[in-house]
Amino acid sequence: MKRTVGERLVRSGIRLPLILWSLAVLYPIFWMFLGAFKSNAEIYANPWGFPEQFNFSNFVTAWTEYNIDTSIFNSFLVTGLGAALCLVLAVPTAYALERIRFKGSQMLFTLYISAMMIPMVLGWIPLFFLLAQFNMLDSIIGLSVVYAMSQLPFTIFVLTSFMGTIPKSLEESASIDGMSPYGILWKIVTPLTMSGIITVTIMNAIQFWNEYFMALIFLQSSENYTLALAIDFISNEAQYTNAWGVLFASLVFAILPVIILYSIFQRRITKGMTEGAIKG
Amino acid sequence: MVQTKKQKYLFLAFCLVPTFIMFSIFTLYPLFSGLYYSFFEWSGTSNTREFVGFDNYVKLFNDEVIPATIWHDYFLVATKVIGIMIMALFIAVALTQLKIKEAPFYRIVFFFPNIMSVVVIGILWMFIYNPNLGLVNSGLEMIGLEEWTRPWLGSETWALPSLVLPSIWAGIGLFMLLLMGGISNISKSYYEAAKIDGANEWQQFWKVTLPLIWPQIKISILYIVITTLNGSFIIVQVMTGGGPNNSTHVMGSYLYQQAFTQYNFGYGATIGVMILVLSLITVVLLQLLLRKERVEY
Repeated sequence: MKRTVGERLVRSGIRLPLILWSLAVLYPIFWMFLGAFKSNAEIYANPWGFPEQFNFSNFVTAWTEYNIDTSIFNSFLVTGLGAALCLVLAVPTAYALERIRFKGSQMLFTLYISAMMIPMVLGWIPLFFLLAQFNMLDSIIGLSVVYAMSQLPFTIFVLTSFMGTIPKSLEESASIDGMSPYGILWKIVTPLTMSGIITVTIMNAIQFWNEYFMALIFLQSSENYTLALAIDFISNEAQYTNAWGVLFASLVFAILPVIILYSIFQRRITKGMTEGAIKG
Repeated sequence: MVQTKKQKYLFLAFCLVPTFIMFSIFTLYPLFSGLYYSFFEWSGTSNTREFVGFDNYVKLFNDEVIPATIWHDYFLVATKVIGIMIMALFIAVALTQLKIKEAPFYRIVFFFPNIMSVVVIGILWMFIYNPNLGLVNSGLEMIGLEEWTRPWLGSETWALPSLVLPSIWAGIGLFMLLLMGGISNISKSYYEAAKIDGANEWQQFWKVTLPLIWPQIKISILYIVITTLNGSFIIVQVMTGGGPNNSTHVMGSYLYQQAFTQYNFGYGATIGVMILVLSLITVVLLQLLLRKERVEY
């Protein structure tokens, strides 16, 4: 089909907003990377341009003087522990809800799912005192547990829908061969659900790595700060210390793992998130 | 199956009980005791907890800040729904219908802010709005609109509207993908039939695309409303902390301030109950409002 001049005009007219919006998304991120390589004087003199020379001193300062190293370690720890605990708790429950018939199965599923829609803000006040009682306030372990629980309903939800796609015949034949239900869960179902487990774990990990507000409430001492808290602290302080370059450098530390995960697992992440939203 | 009843129940218990105990302790118990706390005046130390009945609720209704926080929350809900839906629809239609070669590139780029930390987004946008260094003000100066420049986040009138753009910026991607999924499921034959009937692209959009992706639109709107009511306070906390002069406080950030910086835990819990009730009412009303017959051709 031949396109008329008018159609061509419409088409390029539609491209323009797309290009502008990609600039609006990419430029601030790109600029954040540039800022991390600039000296303070350069940031003031030429805030939105290129640095004259790339120097890494901001990264070094962030790492050595602002304890970013500890915060990165804490963030990795809380992300890993939280994601692992969430899986350990979610996989057996998801399997039981999807495959075993028992009274109240539907009710339990509904209970978990409705927890996804409830604003947890209300729960944070009692949770604060509960953690204090368990000696888990201001602790990375405590925060990991809170994180794991916050994503538990979503994880159960994603895993049940993945497990629903596995043919039952495999489990049945393993059972006839004398395998215990524990063996079936561990050796048959878990490997077959691996794709779902990976998807949901990546999404949980990104969530935990980025999380800010629960960390703000449940952590207090600076040696326990996660990266998000450390950055918030540097940002609030920068008004007096003018450590803008250091702030950008720590933002780069925060965003780099997410960019890496996104570039490897782009399809999984987008698919997981859209499906989670559709069914949730 | 060669399995006794006892073994079956043992396995069932193994699967369900530990998880449910954890869920009860860390999710159910806090929610219910949050309700309970709202009837106490409590500064955090155990010996000063005092039962006050509905006093906190009376205080809630007489607190001048509360109506403002509710209004701010719903302002964000409304502007985000409108902004995100219009832009996400436009992008989704453009990327699916117009056979643009570089469509995958746009898809990947537009989605990325969805997985950025709110802290990173908030700090980036604080710079974009920075009165001296920021992009917004220097951009306005460049096109000769000096009189429009202002300290965006420092102004009581402009701080709240300024929070809308970062939220839209960060939110579009997910809904663009949702809508794209809906559009790509529409059978081509509908468009061919519409073309034969002489419908132009604009009419095709209104008569074919829009009715057929109504379920996705509905889900997107509900999702934006829920996530905003349950989470708008995070970006507020990062970018303005509720200021200047309470002009950006939303319900959640006010709860945080009352409970965790002023140690009025009982009153904080009362605000939490209000958030819960309002968001449940909103979701139910919205579901009634958006109910529309599924279109079938």
